[in-house]
Amino acid sequence: MRFVDEFRSGELAQKLAHELVTLVEPGRTMKLMEVCGGHTHTIYKHGIEDLVPPEIDFVHGPGCPVCVIPMGRVDDAIALAERPEVIFTTFGDMLRVPGGRGSLLEAKARGADVRMVYSPLDALELARRNPAREVIFFAIGFETTAPSTAVTVLRARAEGIRNFSAFCNHVTIGPPLKAILDSPGLQIDAFIAPGHVSTVVGTRPYDFIARDYGKPVVVTAFEPIDILHATVMLVRQLREGRCEVENQYTRVVRRDGNPRAIAALEETMELRDTFEWRGLGWIAHSALKLRPELADWDAEARFELPGTRIEDPKACQCGEVLIGAIKPWECKVFGTACTPERPIGTCMVSSEGACAAYYNYGRLQRRRDRVPA
Amino acid sequence: MTVDAEHCITCGDIAVTATVVHVDGATATVDVDGARERVGIELVEPVAVGEQLLCHAGIALQKIADAP
Repeated sequence: MRFVDEFRSGELAQKLAHELVTLVEPGRTMKLMEVCGGHTHTIYKHGIEDLVPPEIDFVHGPGCPVCVIPMGRVDDAIALAERPEVIFTTFGDMLRVPGGRGSLLEAKARGADVRMVYSPLDALELARRNPAREVIFFAIGFETTAPSTAVTVLRARAEGIRNFSAFCNHVTIGPPLKAILDSPGLQIDAFIAPGHVSTVVGTRPYDFIARDYGKPVVVTAFEPIDILHATVMLVRQLREGRCEVENQYTRVVRRDGNPRAIAALEETMELRDTFEWRGLGWIAHSALKLRPELADWDAEARFELPGTRIEDPKACQCGEVLIGAIKPWECKVFGTACTPERPIGTCMVSSEGACAAYYNYGRLQRRRDRVPA
Repeated sequence: MTVDAEHCITCGDIAVTATVVHVDGATATVDVDGARERVGIELVEPVAVGEQLLCHAGIALQKIADAP
């Protein structure tokens, strides 16, 4: 498949791994945070951690939107789903995420009309076909997913479809990165920035990381060659004492992103004063809500929500995993009380969560057995 | 969009490459590895048959340049 096969070449991977061996300084550990859960998934699925020299330590960041949604918002979603007039639509990933009152899947088992969709446009189609029902879309995700919500709301307004609304939980990438950079004892040397978020927002939102915090950044895609190439670019920057925002994903990401997508977001959404992130706490200006003039399509404006705040389970250390303070296998309940079949924390629920990636690819404990490059 | 069971659609990493086969207003029919799907193209218009798009959650996010 074009744009996939060439980025999974074993021969090229070996060349890049060999280049890394020549670039690293023995004994100088370089901690690279891959911000996006998709990158974590690729690193373990393709065995990249075993391919790179031991001086390179991948630290898993907060870029899994399913993992950072607080339990109280899941309970709000369940409360909406349990309304008799509502068809509650969601991406499949959110179905099993536990809130304080169970999951959406359990609500569905109790009789709530919860349906999985692949796009908010599918939810809008459900609204067209069910004019007597209220169709709500559980809008979650970073700037990659937010434009689909924006386009859907704009279409609903243009067509005068009043029985569709979005329960908006979209988040933005910059503020949590700043929160991590401001955390005491930070040991991250450089950042692998998310590719598809950058497709929308461009590379400018990362400039502050290089300018104000002195950390190199490389935007990259999700194939193994992409991540290895980005790792080489970051290690080169660190070796040469450079500190820049570089773009490895040039086939899709432009410096200014997609201005039309940004305009659609600005037309439909505005920043919340603050938003709770699981593991990171409340972060100012880190999430989006629909603009007041679109209140007719805003589930938060149209329906009453419990709005309860729920503490994470005490045994769960998702918060520390999300900021890279511990590896998944260092969590007390990893692989024992918390598994993908019976998750306690969201990092194990989402297929992109760091814990699920470790568990599914056999990283039950730290192993660095490697094949000579 | 077509996704495999390993990936999470909420995260944008599963955005896929699709080839335009038909354009109908603000919607295009695209080919994704042999499967036909319909995506919104408001954010990347105008598009032509044969162009490659990066698609996620039912919309096209960007046109794809030739790989370097």
